[in-house]
Amino acid sequence: MASNISSGSVPHLPGMEVTELSKNTYEVYIGPAHPGSGHMRIIVEVDGDVMVRVDPDIGFVHRTMEKLAEGRDWIKNIPLFERMAILDACNITLPYVEAVERLLGTEPPDRARYLRTLLCEINRIASHLYGMGIFGVFLGHSTLYMWAFGDREVFIDLAEQMTGARLTHSYPVFGGVRRDIPDDFPENARKATKYMRNRLNEYAKIFLNNPNIRSRLENVGIMSKNLATELGIVGPNLRASGVRYDVRLNEPYEAYGDVEFEIPVFEEGDSLARAWARVEEIRQSLNIIEQAVDWLEKHPRENFMHEKFWKTAPKLYKDVFSGQIDYAGKYRVKLMPLFASLKVPPGKAFARVEAGRGEMVYYVESDGEDVPYRVRVVSPSFRNVIAFKYLMPGHRLMDLPAIYGSFDYFPPEWDR
Amino acid sequence: MNVWYLIYRVIIDDIIFYPPIYQFLIIPGLIAALIVALIIIWFERKAAAFVQMRYGPREIAPKIGGAIQLVADLTRYALQEIIIPETVDVLPYLLSPIIMIILALLPLEAVPITSIRTYYPIPPDYSLLIAVALSTLSPLFIIIMSWASNNKFAVVGGVRESFIITAYELIAVLGFLSVAAMTQSFNLVQIVNLQMSGKWFGLLNPIALLVVFIAVLMSTSGFPFEIPDSESELVAGPYTEYTGLLYGLNMGGAYIKRWVFSILITIVFLGGWAPYRPTPGIITGYFIPSLIISIKALIVMAIMSFLRSVYGRYRVDQALGIAWEILIPLTLVAFGLGLAEAYFGII
Amino acid sequence: MPAKVALKRNPKKNPLGRVFSGNIGALAVGLKYFFDPNRITLLYPHEYIKLRQGYRGYIILIQEKCISCSSCARICPARAMKMLSVKVFDKRLKKEMVKKFPVINYNRCIFCGYCVDVCPTEALYHVPYHDLVYMNMQDMILSLEDFQKEPEDVTAKEGLPIKYIFDEKKGLVKVKYEEEKKEVVQPQQSQQQKENPQSKQVDKGGVS
Ligand code: SF4
Ligand code: SF4
Repeated sequence: MASNISSGSVPHLPGMEVTELSKNTYEVYIGPAHPGSGHMRIIVEVDGDVMVRVDPDIGFVHRTMEKLAEGRDWIKNIPLFERMAILDACNITLPYVEAVERLLGTEPPDRARYLRTLLCEINRIASHLYGMGIFGVFLGHSTLYMWAFGDREVFIDLAEQMTGARLTHSYPVFGGVRRDIPDDFPENARKATKYMRNRLNEYAKIFLNNPNIRSRLENVGIMSKNLATELGIVGPNLRASGVRYDVRLNEPYEAYGDVEFEIPVFEEGDSLARAWARVEEIRQSLNIIEQAVDWLEKHPRENFMHEKFWKTAPKLYKDVFSGQIDYAGKYRVKLMPLFASLKVPPGKAFARVEAGRGEMVYYVESDGEDVPYRVRVVSPSFRNVIAFKYLMPGHRLMDLPAIYGSFDYFPPEWDR
Repeated sequence: MNVWYLIYRVIIDDIIFYPPIYQFLIIPGLIAALIVALIIIWFERKAAAFVQMRYGPREIAPKIGGAIQLVADLTRYALQEIIIPETVDVLPYLLSPIIMIILALLPLEAVPITSIRTYYPIPPDYSLLIAVALSTLSPLFIIIMSWASNNKFAVVGGVRESFIITAYELIAVLGFLSVAAMTQSFNLVQIVNLQMSGKWFGLLNPIALLVVFIAVLMSTSGFPFEIPDSESELVAGPYTEYTGLLYGLNMGGAYIKRWVFSILITIVFLGGWAPYRPTPGIITGYFIPSLIISIKALIVMAIMSFLRSVYGRYRVDQALGIAWEILIPLTLVAFGLGLAEAYFGII
Repeated sequence: MPAKVALKRNPKKNPLGRVFSGNIGALAVGLKYFFDPNRITLLYPHEYIKLRQGYRGYIILIQEKCISCSSCARICPARAMKMLSVKVFDKRLKKEMVKKFPVINYNRCIFCGYCVDVCPTEALYHVPYHDLVYMNMQDMILSLEDFQKEPEDVTAKEGLPIKYIFDEKKGLVKVKYEEEKKEVVQPQQSQQQKENPQSKQVDKGGVS
């Protein structure tokens, strides 16, 4: 037990920190080989049953995303960044694509903007459901876990119809998207949203309004407005603390300026509010999906790729899109061979979107080569993880999953 | 007389149906408990699967809905290597799961399961008190287990277990005794006989039934009180260091405890072998009433198992709060209700 | 106006009502699903999902269409596709020559579909299934011949084809897959079949 070593007798090793435990406390390691954690570790100092010091220790799935990006062609970075959070793939890669588009000067056309918005919202729902499922099983509520993952399947299926892949969509590309929606998609999407609305009520009944779960979450891990802004928390967690900040609101991107939706902001800032914030966000995402689908249905299938790229397209590309070639999928937007050796004009660009877990920020710098000079990624989970250190002390050890789960953690994202 | 017939009588009468052996080992003891565990664990998985958009166990014997899945699981547990960590205190580590199971079954020795005098395991005059008292022994070994494991998670789990014991024990005892207050008797046979008319004490005193039901959930760490071994922060609580068959024993221990309590609930609150009236004879006087009790207890257990798919788990201080702030006053109310019913002669 | 902020609070009820209605509501939902389960599990491998055309599954090369432009190998983010020099007989120039064709290494492929989308002649396409098993890593590096063959859909041999359709009440409903799109494709197929029967008969004759 490393915790019993006192700092006096151990020589100070470089890169190692030795902290002395105060009397009557002991350390518990939650993770990385623990049923209640992902690929991360929380070092908890416990006094009896009360946590006194909580140290989120990240770095178990660090994959040097930013450095890898510097050695890859521009387009090849899209599938790479997707690996940060494959359950939220479109939201995670979109700001990178947007930033590069800013350098290229290729604003995506309207239809592409709506298609991106549509997939982003599908991803957001899937990612929230994933988070809620994990949250449920943390509190021992296996039914919510299974329900959330089962219902997530509905939206993954929608995304699969749209993009051809369940999770790693690699959907947005510079100047547009890679596919248009299939013919029966609007109908399916409407069915799915209707279904999900009913289900959310049942979720509330069996989970959020269940007295057992409520008493676990209410007044647990209260994050005040001040603390949340000070720590730089983002996403639904921030809005559950009463801060009105959402990139979709403050800096509308893609089609978010044209669709109508609400941004739920909760006052309480406890775990229950964070859970409710997700449920309400799913409701709003369903609204957005419906509006986007309506728009896409009304407008003709053109303008899914920026003119600069699509005008050079040979006839075959249009044939593929209209489904003339019977062995390949319909409504596929072929990529220009130009993409394989794209050179981006020198410059610096910055883009951010509201991903499922919060604000996703990319800073891209190009020196005119076919690989980026620098890509800086700030992911939402990385910004949220610090909250554990401040919220958990003073709570009981059993509250750890209640707080941990309510933040909708995703280790691969906060490590990058 | 035929010698074979004599041997047969000896085996049947004096060995199999000798009450202490029959009740401890056969019905409702070990063998019935194993069969019940088979059925209940299967039911628990299936019920959870029904609620949770799944099919549940199916691949082994799909024709009967995977009912023998547990046999496969037990085989796996039995064949698994038992790893004894170096840091454990070996003797208590090995012995406590076994002693826990034996002690968990012990209350059955005090419970009469028929009204025929020859088949009482012990004189039934104070059987309710003795059964409840015996049921409090086995949890101690969970605490020993966790201490012997010498593991932080196990110790925290053990501490939680000890907290929970202090919470539920008083409730269970008082809840059962509120029936004694109604009947002015600790004699389980008399308690069942009083319920023969169809006025089950569970209906006359539903508060006591509810309170005991919740206390049993707490004692057997069933949802929503699955606190000592909550896996999301304590891995497996007191059982963290156990592997293979010993771990299987631990898991079985909780089910056996729940089974014993269900039998007690059945006898005290749900009319025991009522509406059936035992008549002398092994089959009609002993076997059939024991079956009736088992089936009723099985239903009680099924309801307990179903709760898993609806509830999560309470925090330990909340569970204690529920016990001390809500359930104990409720138990006192139930006790008063019992006294009042006895006073006004409703029984 | 686009997004609006909606201030909300956690739903409140008086504690006693919460305990009763909360517990009863939760139990009622649980019981509802206990008696009327809504199951979406796929009993793989007894059943398998017949995926839609357009699913990004295994990739097949049509060698005649390939113009050896190397776009696919250049865009591949996982460096799974490599160009291989082979000697082929060029029909137009009527001579043997060395040409480059792509081959794929499924150890590396992430099924992003970039190669298929970038190919200027549609020489690559996806088959809508992805559950294949290889005995060793070496087999996953396909040769040019293997790359042109559609791999055997192993699950289709044993399992029932299943399709999930969307439903307002149940979300996804599992139904048996029926070949409905055949009618559209039939004209072409019947043409092929017209040619094929002769060859089949010839084959059969040869065997017997
Ligand atoms: S699908 Fe993607 S990873 Fe696979 S060979 Fe094609 S381009 Fe490479
Ligand atoms: S992109 Fe298409 S045509 Fe070019 S080499 Fe690859 S398969 Fe051949």
